[in-house]
Amino acid sequence: MEPNASPALLIGAAGIAVVILGVFVSGLHVAATAWLLGVVYWTAMAIGALLMILIHHVFDAGWSVVLRRQYEHGLAAFKWLALLFLPLLVLSWIAPHDLIWPWMNMAHPIANGHTVGTDELYEKKAAFLNLHMLTLCSAIFFAVWIWLSARLRKASFTQDVDGDVRWTRKSRVTAAFGIPLTALALTFAAVYWIKSLEYHWFSTMFGVWYFANCMRGALSLGVLIMLWLYNRGDFKGILNSNHLHSIGQLMFAFTVFWGYVSFSQYFLIWNANVPEETFWYNLREHGDWWWVGMFIVFGTFLLPFLSLLSYKHKVTHRIIRRIALWILFVIFIDLSFNLMPALKDAHGEPQPFLSINLLWSVAAVAGVGGICVWAYLRSFATAAARLIPIRDPRIAECLTHHE
Amino acid sequence: MAAQPYGLIATFSDTSSIYHAAEKVRDAGYKNWDCITPLPIHGLDKAMGVKRSIVPRCSLGGGITGFCTGMSLIWYTDAFDYPLIVGGKPLFSPLFAFPVSYELTILFTAFATIIGMFVLNGLPMHYHPVLKYRNIRRGMDDLFFIVIEASDPRFNAAETRALLGAIGGANIEELEA
Repeated sequence: MEPNASPALLIGAAGIAVVILGVFVSGLHVAATAWLLGVVYWTAMAIGALLMILIHHVFDAGWSVVLRRQYEHGLAAFKWLALLFLPLLVLSWIAPHDLIWPWMNMAHPIANGHTVGTDELYEKKAAFLNLHMLTLCSAIFFAVWIWLSARLRKASFTQDVDGDVRWTRKSRVTAAFGIPLTALALTFAAVYWIKSLEYHWFSTMFGVWYFANCMRGALSLGVLIMLWLYNRGDFKGILNSNHLHSIGQLMFAFTVFWGYVSFSQYFLIWNANVPEETFWYNLREHGDWWWVGMFIVFGTFLLPFLSLLSYKHKVTHRIIRRIALWILFVIFIDLSFNLMPALKDAHGEPQPFLSINLLWSVAAVAGVGGICVWAYLRSFATAAARLIPIRDPRIAECLTHHE
Repeated sequence: MAAQPYGLIATFSDTSSIYHAAEKVRDAGYKNWDCITPLPIHGLDKAMGVKRSIVPRCSLGGGITGFCTGMSLIWYTDAFDYPLIVGGKPLFSPLFAFPVSYELTILFTAFATIIGMFVLNGLPMHYHPVLKYRNIRRGMDDLFFIVIEASDPRFNAAETRALLGAIGGANIEELEA
């Protein structure tokens, strides 16, 4: 039975409509930043799915074959994500340049009566932070992801038909050069799209932090998709508890990795105590952002960390589903913490977390998400072998995956 | 020779016969018994009714101990025993105690895991009564054995022998203690 894709499209359209409403209520600047949050949230999921497939191939993995096909369906979202990112670029060209990223407008005021144009820190970074480079680089990022996705999808879907093991070898080659390309693209994308919202700041951890969220998101989505297919009856006899144990271990590993990276970023800045770096965290101690920060320490790291320690939690459908949903929620909070304080009020303080802005960001995540889920379901419905790569050389090994 | 033997050993010829025999020994309610196989048999744990190991609990205990040790070590040395201001930081903060606590968490977890595994397995064990069995070397080659120990509360020399025979065991012999 084919799943119905139209509710997803409807949710996507509704989310987009609410963000457009946000343009009239809170202004284009706020709505566009919220939209950026929605796009980077789902781009993270898609990058995570791409990386899972690439890592699967480069290690010639066996256990994750059944999971791989679902990620391959998910890669269909990349071209739509590129399309959904496009309005931000177009607005940057035609509307006031500093609509989203302040460094685009040389007259944009910064502290002490200076402007971006007379800012020494901007001048040092001007070769990187300009509209032409942003446009070119964003195009390259999406081109890299879409191209790699197309190669992997073609190899995998063609193998369903001809059963040629050559496609597996070809994908391994794709993975070998695709991993560094994807890693570079996602690092620069995180720096360009998110970090440059406050371009005075320095952190070498930023790309790695985004990568950690990509992986956590894709793994959690993978669990949700597997359980969804299991409950539909499609994955009965395919999915066993060892698959869930393995993916749960990866969720655990990337929870620790996320914690390690985020803590290191904070700790190094706290320890060095240099104003050029501490201002970013100081802003995030204003108003209710302090509580969001505390929530991130305990909710984004500690709670998933403790719950994923247990074997039982990883293999019990009801519990691992809750953990996966929780991780998808906390990634939203984490991205909000990184993006939204860039929106300042009249006194230069960050606009609060619990404000109308939250509605626009939730709507943006729902809007972009609806389109991505729709793209996934469309690929799922049109593929000949929608559930698993039936002629993958390691499929038998995967179906009997054991500890 | 001592009156009480160590237990009874029965021979099986292939994986499926020992797998199903193990299920029957489990269902008969025996606790102190084991399978000796020349290769890992997936699912044999379940057929034997073996629960998941409690080594992870030892690891958790070790991890928590390590974390607390790290925190208290830094607090004791920096804020209590010899208070010293470094870099304008407070005398104690969990932030700078974190790297030490983190490392000690890993170190103590590793210790607890290894020690827990050794203790639970009764290691190091330099001698085991089954080593006296004349055919035991073939348990590393082409034969499969089930050993039911006399220490099992259900053990009864005649009944246990009958059970091992009924489930397909050959060459049922007493093991010298």
